[in-house]
Amino acid sequence: MKKNLAPIDRIGRFVLGAVAAFSLLLLVAPSLIVVAISFEPRGFIAFPPSGLSLRWYEHVFANRQLTDSVVVSLWVSLAVAGITLALGVPAAFASVRGTFAGKAAANAFLLAPQMMPGMVIGIASLFFGAYFAFRASNAMLILALSVFCLPFVIRIAMARLAGLDPRLDEASANLGAGKLETFVRVTLPQLGPALVAAAAFTFIEAFDNVTVALFTSDVRGRPLPVELYYLVQYDSTPAIAAISALEIGLSFAIMLVLARTVGLERLGR
Amino acid sequence: MSHIALQDIAKSFGPVRVLDGCSVAVNKGTVMTLLGPSGCGKTTLLRTLAGFVEPDGGRVVVGGRDITDLPPNRRQVGYVFQSYALFPHLDVAANVAYGLRVRRVGQAETQARVRKALDLVSLSAFADRYPARLSGGQQQRVAIARALVLEPEVLLLDEPFNALDAKLRLSMQIELRKLIERVGITSIFVTHDQQEAMTLSDRVAVMRAGRIEQVGAPIDIYDRPRTAYVAAFIGRANVLPIDIRGGRVAIDPAIAAARADGAAWLVVRPENLAIENAGEGPGWHGTVAFATPQGATIEYEIAISLAEPLRVVALRKVGEPPAAVGSPVRVRAIDPAACVVLEEGPDGV
Repeated sequence: MKKNLAPIDRIGRFVLGAVAAFSLLLLVAPSLIVVAISFEPRGFIAFPPSGLSLRWYEHVFANRQLTDSVVVSLWVSLAVAGITLALGVPAAFASVRGTFAGKAAANAFLLAPQMMPGMVIGIASLFFGAYFAFRASNAMLILALSVFCLPFVIRIAMARLAGLDPRLDEASANLGAGKLETFVRVTLPQLGPALVAAAAFTFIEAFDNVTVALFTSDVRGRPLPVELYYLVQYDSTPAIAAISALEIGLSFAIMLVLARTVGLERLGR
Repeated sequence: MSHIALQDIAKSFGPVRVLDGCSVAVNKGTVMTLLGPSGCGKTTLLRTLAGFVEPDGGRVVVGGRDITDLPPNRRQVGYVFQSYALFPHLDVAANVAYGLRVRRVGQAETQARVRKALDLVSLSAFADRYPARLSGGQQQRVAIARALVLEPEVLLLDEPFNALDAKLRLSMQIELRKLIERVGITSIFVTHDQQEAMTLSDRVAVMRAGRIEQVGAPIDIYDRPRTAYVAAFIGRANVLPIDIRGGRVAIDPAIAAARADGAAWLVVRPENLAIENAGEGPGWHGTVAFATPQGATIEYEIAISLAEPLRVVALRKVGEPPAAVGSPVRVRAIDPAACVVLEEGPDGV
């Protein structure tokens, strides 16, 4: 097929390929550089690294403050994923299947946090907490992050729900199933992949969010992104790169598991 | 007493009156077809019977029991959807077993009944296939097995052949008719295809704009349509404006009509017309406007002094050429008694 292309098309094809390759490079290169730096044996950041060493990984795992923050982040992210699923799926149901007055307005309201910068949500949560004398804590962090992440879950669930055949519900009812049983036997299994995807994205988002966490997290027992944020201010050792590389690895692992179980092409739906 | 009785069902969606007082009765073990063009309310009527639509007025009675207020999952009414609505995440056996699982039927009995139902529709070999990997005809049979395995009192089918190609359609229609006869279940079909209605049903209810226009055996409706709309919908018909004088239709040959004098309409089926040589004699005089040999028959359009040409279907003898286009001919009714006189013409004129 290439043989029959006119010269102008060939040039177009080349330009398109070059732009695509450059964009991919821009997306991937920073991550690769960070991973490379993390193997630097010396005490400062350098690229290309002068050797291959796991010294800074050892350093990270030996640092109680860092490992504690990882544990905090894991718990917070799990809680956020759970809460947003529990709230987002019923909300998606209401906005896709429901018929009630003010549905459009409710929809806009539910999806609004997505339009807002995380920082605004963080500061708003901080002031809101202060008003009720509710100290910045990980409970508050979880709440604020849940607000921030809820639209993701709702949108993914809505997209999948809208694609479901409502006749399937009728078929289920016709075969004798009540509403709850229909949900468990028909709707949920088909929603499953989308919910796994939503949970994974929410987890990753909550795990590495700085903008909201900065204002709402506990002073002690800070989550990893905030811990890192403070760390870079005093310290610029390859330890930062090592942690980043670990985080990249975690995200990659989650995506890999999703790709294998659900299929990446089904995640978008 | 009829097995299914829909009594005076009314339903509006917003300002649109979809069902305007529909009453249909179906005898036990017989097949009824709701026939009409799209938008006439036939599917809504069927969905009312299944409980998917709550009627604004009227009663739904099945087997002597008023089920108007029962939710769909408490009715013993099998439903085959136009799109079949098979569960895509379940294989064929699990689709068929669905209703039994919901009813908490034991594992052994479920398996036995699913096997029997799949045998009934000749799909035993496909038990572990997923719906996406079945042809349209196979999907339809799964949908039927899924409904029949619950041994419902009634089977409802919403345009079940729409998704099938024309060739498969006829053989599936005959198969389904045999299957229904074997099971002996009272069934209601919805279709807009009059040929399908003829093949499948004991009785046909022709619907128009939310009302039942005529109910009867398909061949009775064909022979004795009560309105021009029914005449044109079941088979093809020439609907001609005529005058009645002294209890007869004022054309030659005269057709008896027990009606008051005045304008009326005459329904003549194309096969009840014969083409004769032009010249003096009874009938309509005109010229051949169009002739198409169809194998067994020849279809003519004869231009007469009316807006619509006369449609004539003549049996064709082997080697016989059709009458030449433009040639003058005379058309007469073969059996005047088979012509139907109506007071109202097309579109209620």
